[in-house]
Amino acid sequence: MNGFVKIFSKLKEIDRRYIYLFIALAAVVPLIFPLGLPIGVTQEAKDLFNKVESLKEGSVVILTFDYYPSTLPETEPMSYAALRHMFRKKLKVITLTTVPLGSLSVMESVVKNVAREYNKVYGEDYVNLGYKYGYQAVMLGMGRNIKDIFPYDNYDNPLDSLPLMQKVKNYDDVDFLFAVSDNATVEYWVSIVNAQFGLSMGAGVTAVMAPRCYSFLQTKQMVGLLGGMKGAAEYESLSENYGWATVGMGPQSIIHFLIIFFIIAGNIGYFATKGKRR
Amino acid sequence: MINFEFIGTYIAAFLTLAIYSFLYKDNPFYKLAEHIFAGISAGYYVGLVWHSIIKQQLLNPLLQYHQYLLIIPGVLGLLMFTRFIPKISWISRISLAFVIGNTAGITLIQQLHGIVLPQIRCTFLDITQISELVMVVGVVSTLIYFYFSKEHKGVLGFTANLGIWFIMVAFGASFGYTVMARVSLLIGRAQFLMIDWLGLLK
Repeated sequence: MNGFVKIFSKLKEIDRRYIYLFIALAAVVPLIFPLGLPIGVTQEAKDLFNKVESLKEGSVVILTFDYYPSTLPETEPMSYAALRHMFRKKLKVITLTTVPLGSLSVMESVVKNVAREYNKVYGEDYVNLGYKYGYQAVMLGMGRNIKDIFPYDNYDNPLDSLPLMQKVKNYDDVDFLFAVSDNATVEYWVSIVNAQFGLSMGAGVTAVMAPRCYSFLQTKQMVGLLGGMKGAAEYESLSENYGWATVGMGPQSIIHFLIIFFIIAGNIGYFATKGKRR
Repeated sequence: MINFEFIGTYIAAFLTLAIYSFLYKDNPFYKLAEHIFAGISAGYYVGLVWHSIIKQQLLNPLLQYHQYLLIIPGVLGLLMFTRFIPKISWISRISLAFVIGNTAGITLIQQLHGIVLPQIRCTFLDITQISELVMVVGVVSTLIYFYFSKEHKGVLGFTANLGIWFIMVAFGASFGYTVMARVSLLIGRAQFLMIDWLGLLK
């Protein structure tokens, strides 16, 4: 028993830098030697995928890029997977962001890359509205007339000159909203655009935000939800378009096991040495 | 010809490693990366505000399309700068009053109509089913935990304690998701270092 206590009391006092080292190895090694672990798909991700899948060819979808570069590993794969799915389904896509720092250049790069893959024509198949300050005003104003808020697109073309935007005046002409977000803007898309204008929506959010967003599934204000890198991997798996989120699931699983091990070992160490400290 | 992407990748890799070096201990490389981040963010934001707000939403419509009504928000914006002159700083309250009034009006409708009412509506459930009974008990007991006008004793105390359990479960789920989020960010950086910088994986 004394040996057992000794091991765990030592483990409890291990230098935190060794833990960082283990975590770093767990992040890197499975990238070099992929484990190929299966990815379980949640019902929320399936619902979101099925909703996009059910849209008819030519339907108009708004895809938002409401995230900062700091959360790219979680959010960017969602944008890639969603946009690829939409273009494959021949949907018309309007992209925009309500986040100021960095998302504009991320959006431009994602949209250009995927449009090139699917030979999509700018102005006809997709439009990039860019960024506009003041998300509440933007969301409310777009319900009246999108041109009031975005008189020009991201490349300074008047909206009237773009064939797609000649058919889309406001949310009434939009069939679905797919918000990819790492902040509270997703709540505003729900409580303003869905609640006040009745636009059906789903979202891909960071894992930190996912628990909060589950309540919107319960109220049916969202049709589906992707949570974090796992959510992105689920969408990649459903759309059979595997990307970096799927690759990231190997390290993710190993690190989780490691963290669980450290939590259990730390707790055993704590309880085993509890009496000793007194 | 200078390959900016190549240089950018090396700078990003250096800054990533500089930030992670803090895990060993605080050092000048970490401080340098931290200061660069703060400085660039501030500069980027100033440029963005100038281009996408002042120029795009005020100056261009005003000067090119003669939308003179925009003079009013423009003046309200300028009044905010009176805060720097103590004698007339009270004038900035006019602009603040507009912002607060406007925000309160929008937020009230948004919160009530978009959040509170739909959430309440969804607790009117068929409690003969276990999952829905758990939902209703969870909502009621959690709300009772936050009721502080009476001492938490007897039935009230028991329900409040039950509420704590539900809150703890919610915190646990939230913590688990937060761990997953932070791990994802680490994996993202590892992918960047291994693939974009070192070119070890394809």
